[in-house]
Amino acid sequence: MAGRGGQALLALCAALAASGWLLGVGAQEPGEPAAGVRRRRRLQQEDGISFEYHRYPELREALVSVWLQCTAVSRIYTVGRSFEGRELLVIELSDNPGVHEPGEPEFKYVGNMHGNEAVGRELLIFLAQYLCNEYQKGNETIVNLIHSTRIHIMPSLNPDGFEKAASQPGGLKDWFVGRSNAQGIDLNRNFPDLDRIVYVNEKEGGPNNHLLKNLKKIVDQNTKLAPETKAVIHWIMDIPFVLSANLHGGDLVANYPYDETRSGSAHEYSSCPDDAIFQSLARSYSSYNPAMSDPHRPPCRKNDDDSSFVDGTTNGGAWYSVPGGMQDFNYLSSNCFEITVELSCEKFPPEETLKSYWENNKNSLINYLEQIHRGVKGFVRDLQGNPIANATISVEGIDHDVTSAKDGDYWRLLVPGNYKLTASAPGYLAITKKVAVPYSPAVGVNFELESFSERKEEEKEELMEWWKMMSETLNF
Amino acid sequence: MGLLCPGARLLVLAQPGDPIHAFLKPGGSEDRSLHNRELSAERPLNEQIAEAEADKIKNVYPPENKPGESNYSFVDNLNLLKAITEKEKTEKEKQSIRSSPFDNKLNVEDADSTKNRKLIEDYDSTKSGLDHKFQGDPDGLHQLDGTPLTADDIVHKIATRIYEENDRGVFDKIVSKLLNLGLITESQAHTLEDEVAEALQKLISKEANSYEEELNKSISRTENQAGKISEKVTLKAATQNSLTHGESDETVSNALTLVNGLERRTQTFGEDDFEELQYFPNFYALLKSIDSEKEAKEKETLITIMKTLIDFVKMMVKYGTISPEEGVAYLENLDETIALQTKNKLEKIATDNKSKLFPVPSEKSPEETDSTKEEAAKMEQQHGTLKDSTKDSSSRPVGKTDAPKGKTEAYLEAIRKNIEWLKKHDKKGNKDDYDLSKMRDFITQQADAYVAKGILDKEEASTIKRIYSSL
Repeated sequence: MAGRGGQALLALCAALAASGWLLGVGAQEPGEPAAGVRRRRRLQQEDGISFEYHRYPELREALVSVWLQCTAVSRIYTVGRSFEGRELLVIELSDNPGVHEPGEPEFKYVGNMHGNEAVGRELLIFLAQYLCNEYQKGNETIVNLIHSTRIHIMPSLNPDGFEKAASQPGGLKDWFVGRSNAQGIDLNRNFPDLDRIVYVNEKEGGPNNHLLKNLKKIVDQNTKLAPETKAVIHWIMDIPFVLSANLHGGDLVANYPYDETRSGSAHEYSSCPDDAIFQSLARSYSSYNPAMSDPHRPPCRKNDDDSSFVDGTTNGGAWYSVPGGMQDFNYLSSNCFEITVELSCEKFPPEETLKSYWENNKNSLINYLEQIHRGVKGFVRDLQGNPIANATISVEGIDHDVTSAKDGDYWRLLVPGNYKLTASAPGYLAITKKVAVPYSPAVGVNFELESFSERKEEEKEELMEWWKMMSETLNF
Repeated sequence: MGLLCPGARLLVLAQPGDPIHAFLKPGGSEDRSLHNRELSAERPLNEQIAEAEADKIKNVYPPENKPGESNYSFVDNLNLLKAITEKEKTEKEKQSIRSSPFDNKLNVEDADSTKNRKLIEDYDSTKSGLDHKFQGDPDGLHQLDGTPLTADDIVHKIATRIYEENDRGVFDKIVSKLLNLGLITESQAHTLEDEVAEALQKLISKEANSYEEELNKSISRTENQAGKISEKVTLKAATQNSLTHGESDETVSNALTLVNGLERRTQTFGEDDFEELQYFPNFYALLKSIDSEKEAKEKETLITIMKTLIDFVKMMVKYGTISPEEGVAYLENLDETIALQTKNKLEKIATDNKSKLFPVPSEKSPEETDSTKEEAAKMEQQHGTLKDSTKDSSSRPVGKTDAPKGKTEAYLEAIRKNIEWLKKHDKKGNKDDYDLSKMRDFITQQADAYVAKGILDKEEASTIKRIYSSL
């Protein structure tokens, strides 16, 4: 979050407001006498979820515990290392962990990219534990989700920053300390600014999707990119993510593209071609969070301008312009649709409040996950049934295309309506299909493309036939 | 068909140097008899001969009559012949629809074009008494069942044919035939083009509307069905759209190209035939090898065929049905075929230069292979960087040693839950022990992998392994 005159006074007010806001703050149990610095499982435990802040070792342990409990449906991996060498850990939950099953959409949650915005990090650890517990209990919603989706959870993209923020003594944390990575780079301003390119393309003509093509090398050689940023970029390029959310703190709203204003002004509604579905997605999160969607909620700080907030959602540019953010980078460089969720007025609230944050966000997190099964999905294949990867799927009326993944599978999130989908690939004849899309579930639409050479072969054969006939007729 | 036909043609062609209008002699009765024979070449030999005789007889009389009358009978004959021609033509056209468009069109055109090319001047509208107002010539043009063919019918017929075959070239063929026969003038050809375009658009919109209705009904059914129907519709619509767009864009340029095509046709026939054919080495060699005297007719046939083909391909390229590269590839491939055929059949032509095989532009994008390589490289990279993680333990905060018990407890708890769940969901029944050992192996493997990647540290891994082995 951008700084807003973060003075200690304001932070204090925020803390008071936050604690006044949160309902049902968890009661504290007397903890075991601490053998060392950290007290383990002091606070409420519910199904193995301990509602306390996890430093890096605890974060790792928590994820390992989830994995040990749910080995059948989970896997831990790392996308790279932070500047100070901490692993950027991801826990994956799916019925076939480690494997992309053709047709199965990929989802990600990324938290704590600003190290001092801590609620997201904790919520994601809780979420991993929760999904594992519920799966084993046979919770139908969760079981279906895990079987039909590949869920990737990265609790912290900036573990170095978190350590710095968490190491601050006392209850009240500074508004800035620990926000950026160990190099002092604000990770959410560090991504290649594809918005700029898109805005130029809008005027002069040019694509508005997959703008990072052919720039992989440039990314690797770019010295301005933090290692965390590079790791995430590779992650995005490797896995065909469909839907994602980026968890922050400092306010209470679900924010959607574009983040950067077209004219460069400070506030301007900057809609992307998929404005409709993004509004729906943002609402799907905020509507399940009572505080976020409360129309009478006062702004987090007295002088905050939340005029752009509607139903707990806001367009990024309308709120304030953010260049180089991860959210827009996802949309413009890959097929992934990402929103930014601000979870708490206070960036690093007291540990006791974590449980209530969980209660307020649990349903939103699950509901947002389910949004991935909307719109249209299917396969693009050739006439022999072989998948066509990197085929373009365009929707008439929405100037943003998606591409098919390696197995020819694609997913296109859409609000309900009637659409014309066109699948095309170089060397193939394009096919257009009409689709009626309900709210959910996703409609299956497959394409079988005929290649130019096949068509040419047909024509060539005809020519040969003709020649044969001619020559026979004329005794030649 | 026999040799009569080629022979007749040959006679006509035997004056390569003469421009067409050499035949434009007033009266030109000899030519007419020749032409008559050619016109009716499709019909049985006897009939042809009979008719030729009949015509000759008819032609004997007119000079004896008054000029006016002679004109009238001349006109009569011509009209009759036109009627016959038209009937045959429509029959041929009908045939060409039923069978493969490619085959018969060329066949027919080939069969016709050589004969008909000579007839242009005789059927020139500027000649007296010959009324070729295309629109209002009920005497000359009849439908198969004998009822007069109105202009609208013709337009509609042509439009339908174009629509069915989805090929604009149909129109050109028909028109060029008509022009060759001298039944219409160029300006009439232009008018016809406009009318056909209109009719075609009407057809398309009518069809599109009826499809739309169908589609609207079917949308209420299951999505899959709707998808299938709409695929057809949209495919058709797409092609129709491109067709109509093509029509409207090109009607102007088409007029010009039509003229050019005409000119081309009328001229090239008389010129040195080898000009274009030089680009087809095999064909050229074949031609050269044919003994001009003995197999002149074969030669001419070949030339005609090849020229027809070239024209056809040019037409297709012009109208965008195929790209120039594809057209060239076709013809080069044809040349190749000729080489093979001649080798097989005639066995006297040395195909020394087999043209190289033509690179079919690869549709399979190389991106796929590249990306997998990149994937592999990336993974290697990742593994490479991760191997150092074990050195990292120093950067970890101190608190680790404080509560190993807590951690072990947590892991134990988690493992217990896992085993419990697995047992519950294990459908194999009695194989608990087996599963456990399998799990143990799996966990051991995973734990080691995680240590390598820096997700677990060695101690933790050993703890986990210990727990599993103690179960």
